[in-house]
Amino acid sequence: MMTRFLWLFLAPSLLLAADPAMPEKHRALFKEHCVSCHGPEKQKGKFRVDDLPLSITSVEVAEKWQKVLNALNSGDMPPTDEKQPASAAKADFLDDLANVMVAARRTLGDQKGVITMRRLNRREYKNTLRELLGVEINVAELPPDGGSGAFDTVGSNLFMSANQIEQYQALGREALEEAFAWQTAASVTKKLHYEGETTTPKVRDFVKYQIDARERAQKWVNAVDEAARKPENKEIVEKIRAEVNNNGSRLRREWARIPGAPNPRTFGFDKKGENDADLANDSLGAGWLKYHEYYIGMPGVDRGAYLGVQTRHPSELNVNYIELLVPFDWPVGDYIVRVRSAAVKDAPVERRFLDFGIHARTGKVLNTFEITGTMENPQTIEIPLTLTRGNLTRENRSLFLREKGSWDTNEEGNRKRAEAVKRNGIGPELVLWVDWIEIERVPNATKPVPPGFAALKLPLDDKSPAPAAVELRAAFERFATEAFRGTPPPAEYVDRLMRLYDARRKAGDKPVAALKETLSVVLASPMFLYLAESGSPSFTPDLLPKEEAGEKLGVKDEKQKTLSGPELAIRLAYFLWSAPPDAELRKSDLSKPEVLAAQTNRLLDDPRSEGFLTAFVHQWLGLDRIDFFEVNRALYPRFDTGTKVAAKGEIHETIAHILKHNASLRDLLKADYVVINRVLAHYYGIPGVKGDGYEKVSLPKDSPRGGLLGMAAIHFMGGNGERTSPVERGAWVLRKLLHDPPPPAPANVPAITRLAGKVLTTKERLLAHQEDPQCASCHRKIDPIGFGLENFDAAGQWRTEESYTALDANGKPDPKSTKRWPIDPASAFHKGPSFTDFFSLRDIIDTKSDAFARSFSEALIEFALGRPIGFCDEPLIDDLITQASKKDLAMREFIHALVSSKEFHTK
Amino acid sequence: MKTRRRFLQSNTSLIALPALESLGFRRFASAATPAAPPKRLVFLGFGWGITTETWFPDIKQTGKDYTLPEGLKPLARHKADFSIVQGLWNKYSNEGHWGSTMWLTGANRFAEPGQTFHNSISADQVAAAKLGMDTRFASLQLNGSENAEASGHGPGLSMAWDVSGKPIGGHKGPVEAFHRLFSKDTTPIEQQKAMLAQKRSVLDTVMENAKAMQRGLGKNDRAKLDEYFQGIRDIETRLAKDEQWIGVPQPKAPIPQPQEGLAGKEEIKIMYDIILAAMQTDSTRVLTYRQPVSTLLTSIGIKVAPHDMSHYHSTMGEKLAASQQRDLVQSELLAGLIDKLKATKEADGSRLFDHVALAYGSNIRTEHNLDNCPTLLTGGGAGIKLGQNIVAPKDTPLCNAWLTLLHGIGVNAERHGDSSGALKEIVM
Repeated sequence: MMTRFLWLFLAPSLLLAADPAMPEKHRALFKEHCVSCHGPEKQKGKFRVDDLPLSITSVEVAEKWQKVLNALNSGDMPPTDEKQPASAAKADFLDDLANVMVAARRTLGDQKGVITMRRLNRREYKNTLRELLGVEINVAELPPDGGSGAFDTVGSNLFMSANQIEQYQALGREALEEAFAWQTAASVTKKLHYEGETTTPKVRDFVKYQIDARERAQKWVNAVDEAARKPENKEIVEKIRAEVNNNGSRLRREWARIPGAPNPRTFGFDKKGENDADLANDSLGAGWLKYHEYYIGMPGVDRGAYLGVQTRHPSELNVNYIELLVPFDWPVGDYIVRVRSAAVKDAPVERRFLDFGIHARTGKVLNTFEITGTMENPQTIEIPLTLTRGNLTRENRSLFLREKGSWDTNEEGNRKRAEAVKRNGIGPELVLWVDWIEIERVPNATKPVPPGFAALKLPLDDKSPAPAAVELRAAFERFATEAFRGTPPPAEYVDRLMRLYDARRKAGDKPVAALKETLSVVLASPMFLYLAESGSPSFTPDLLPKEEAGEKLGVKDEKQKTLSGPELAIRLAYFLWSAPPDAELRKSDLSKPEVLAAQTNRLLDDPRSEGFLTAFVHQWLGLDRIDFFEVNRALYPRFDTGTKVAAKGEIHETIAHILKHNASLRDLLKADYVVINRVLAHYYGIPGVKGDGYEKVSLPKDSPRGGLLGMAAIHFMGGNGERTSPVERGAWVLRKLLHDPPPPAPANVPAITRLAGKVLTTKERLLAHQEDPQCASCHRKIDPIGFGLENFDAAGQWRTEESYTALDANGKPDPKSTKRWPIDPASAFHKGPSFTDFFSLRDIIDTKSDAFARSFSEALIEFALGRPIGFCDEPLIDDLITQASKKDLAMREFIHALVSSKEFHTK
Repeated sequence: MKTRRRFLQSNTSLIALPALESLGFRRFASAATPAAPPKRLVFLGFGWGITTETWFPDIKQTGKDYTLPEGLKPLARHKADFSIVQGLWNKYSNEGHWGSTMWLTGANRFAEPGQTFHNSISADQVAAAKLGMDTRFASLQLNGSENAEASGHGPGLSMAWDVSGKPIGGHKGPVEAFHRLFSKDTTPIEQQKAMLAQKRSVLDTVMENAKAMQRGLGKNDRAKLDEYFQGIRDIETRLAKDEQWIGVPQPKAPIPQPQEGLAGKEEIKIMYDIILAAMQTDSTRVLTYRQPVSTLLTSIGIKVAPHDMSHYHSTMGEKLAASQQRDLVQSELLAGLIDKLKATKEADGSRLFDHVALAYGSNIRTEHNLDNCPTLLTGGGAGIKLGQNIVAPKDTPLCNAWLTLLHGIGVNAERHGDSSGALKEIVM
């Protein structure tokens, strides 16, 4: 925290203060504007400022300063009829006060290095069940963790309730059911093959039907019209015409009232209980007949299917996607999906992408592939897929293939379809072709038995005789020991488990059912749910050298305890895997530095480290904003669901790449390479991706890509899906990259209303912030950085021009008001260097890698130790940076320095 | 068992009482008069909405002096005793066929990243957590006897969703509901007790584990583990409540057992009688009823399919007529229920109507329109403005109305769903 004051722009008087304090110079503002009412004589509102200490050392003093901050921000004080402070002085005052308040809150809320015992959070709980039982279960019904800005590992924010205890037992039961199902289905094989051309006869028949129905409908219409023309029907027909506004099809709906008009059913129109005339009227239009005729005229429809657009309701005819329902009686397990596919010769590059996902209507895209195969030489894609007991309903077990972005939403699909019709009179050209799709179950017989089952050593079906009591007791003991991460269960506890099992058996349960029920209780027990650390049994505080126990930690707390070997292994595993330690880690002597380092590297190399990376990166960089809103697809048609998924993946894949190769943290500020897949390669216009996944690609010299500030998802987050938000972006850069977080947005600041309804450039609009001291105090730092990033549009594409169109009184865009302007990225840091464009802004930020390293270190410590950062952590943060600096801020060095620190070894 | 009893006594006094002395039982067994009649909360939901043009009063005629629109005419005799509230919606709702799924929750189905469905607690369940402590049923969920999809209600097992957003089951049709309320529990008492004992045995086991763990912990961590102990205590409290009612005879039904096979209009009418009977016998104080719409239409001779009816805009004609007729019948049924609420007397002589807060409406206006959700509020229980056409600013959270009802019946929730505060327009 202190170092936040070291860098860049803050008042130097804050620099050496041990406690957060307002600089002495601000007393002047008090004296001139406040003391006459809030001083020793008058004490309006029983509030005095003259005796307010500048140094904020207690909650009471902090509350008083907060009142001052609020009153100034809202403009309530000084009262409007009194003399007002000069804008610059007020802005400086507010700037300092807001920052001092943030620092004060932190000091006053400092946990002084104390780590609160915590339960497993939702992710860890899920991973722990996976490691124990070999299954993935859906834990969405558990309440979400974290919130309030802290990491989801911070124990003091992780709570427990009655409902949760019951949910844990229910989820544990579910996990056991799933695990038993996997074990019993271990050797089952299944395969389902679907040929694309299955669609073709359906389309052919539909074309025939449409032509025929149109003819029949015309005949019926003629017959109704004829009856309507009869002179004797004149009166009734006129009456109906008046009712239906002289609308032809609505008149025909009333055929039954017109004597002599035939029943549509006699022409073959039966709408199953609804008005048959509606069906006849609809058939007259033969909607999308031309598109369907175009479809069956395509080459290759006898060998496969094209992926087109939606025309009719999918239950009637579907040429938009291929859907494959995994049979309901297929067991849980690992599956592999194969797709043989091609793109037609003249398919445009942007239309060569295939989305694979589950449930076409809700459109959950799992993967996107670029189709490089040709009609002569199609390619086969392989997609691994795990089906669990959660994949029970049609909604989550029907797989689909669709052209990327062709019908993500009805609105978007309709728009693209209408554009094509305008162009060619038919609809979007058919370019993606699927020969077949198949799904096959991969037997798990060769996988190692999960440790929970290995510990159980009991029959998993009721064909074998029920286990004897001795056997059972031993099995419970072994299972609980495994579940409790190596701690053997107390004997009384096992007694109770035995009694539970017996009660279930007496109540009529078969042995396996009683077993599952009993084990589910283990999975709701606190020794499973909590990561308790009691310290090494042999440890006494005297053994720890004083300077280490006290001075280095900055706290004199003799209760600091060294972790026992198993506890350290657990802490390490939950840090780097968000999962329990495996057998090898439990065996390792982590008190030896070289063993600890080797194990740390092994853990980071293991695929389970994804558990750390995904969760940490998401929370550290605040990526939840990516899912907050949808992009406006009319403005950004290329940023479809598949692209958004890929863009989000880029952040994680890039950091995974850096971690894997122990590259420098600096690469996130500026890099000459990107880690992208084919979807992004196309989106960014960067050639060179060879495989189907993410890979490192070198950038051309003048590319704005490379590093976090070159990523589409980061810029998408810094907007609302429609327009960019320089404020959001600037604040994010200050918060995450420059380690200079702006104070939280103050409440009740009067809005700037004089610009409402005016058509202005973004910069003009935001510069209004500078007029008002309340706004300027923060925005003079935030906004300039945002201006420098304006070359990226709300979907992260590079642009040189922007436009704005005001809405008219009816809320519709008014084209007459449209204003266009070239992007002007030049600006300057507040009291800092200026920049001319994005590239020079990026270069300045790149020189601040120490600040970035600090931001990263703090996040890492908080995540790993499960407690908020405090002032006492300053030496530790410095250590991490010093260590890492020796290797050019290589990412793993931070982690090594952290896991070998005293803090990581003590509780 | 001994351990747990000691544990309970040391922590709360109420649940350590012998079962037969519990409040609910004593009142029931001796028919002693309670001091003041309890508050009740009732939600009646119909899936496919109403006819926009003829159900809503003119938004220019706000307050008491408004002309009753055609669709509400059957309610004319109660005009001073209900309010129509316009301008409310659930901003996250996006499914045109889900008239009830999020009606009482205001949830965002996509709130959980990666999940295609998410819901949160419904307003009735918020109330049940408080009003449900002393009655046999904390709440009662009633459903139409037909398939709820056909009536435009959307996913869910009833209109109620629990604290973690999971669906709560409901009783299908009047016969099932009647039996639940007034027939003897067929599970042998011994078995009921055994099931309870087993649940307690599970608690004893995890408690044993918690205590063993507690021994090695420092002060801070013990405090953290206390949350777990508190959780166990809360489950105990619930079990203790269940136990109180084991073997307590069901109240005598104030109405005869309904006929089998009732559908549509007749079914709703009888269900309203059951709702009344449930309140009269104080079996529960919180009720929801997911009304049938599809069979309502058939029962009054309408052949238009219900979904099609709600799309009357494209064709008008018989679809519009069906929609309007549906409004009339529903209003007529509601008027009948209000008659009975007014006629039923509480133990202190006041009208049941004065202690009930009742909301009647749907998340769907008509077609796939999810704004201006039709909302009719009645009953004196929540102390809100009655007899008015109330027009809230467009797109006010519907949950503001629910929050206000909750406050009115004494449940002091801070917020509900996406509420932004109480609905000041209906507060007296």
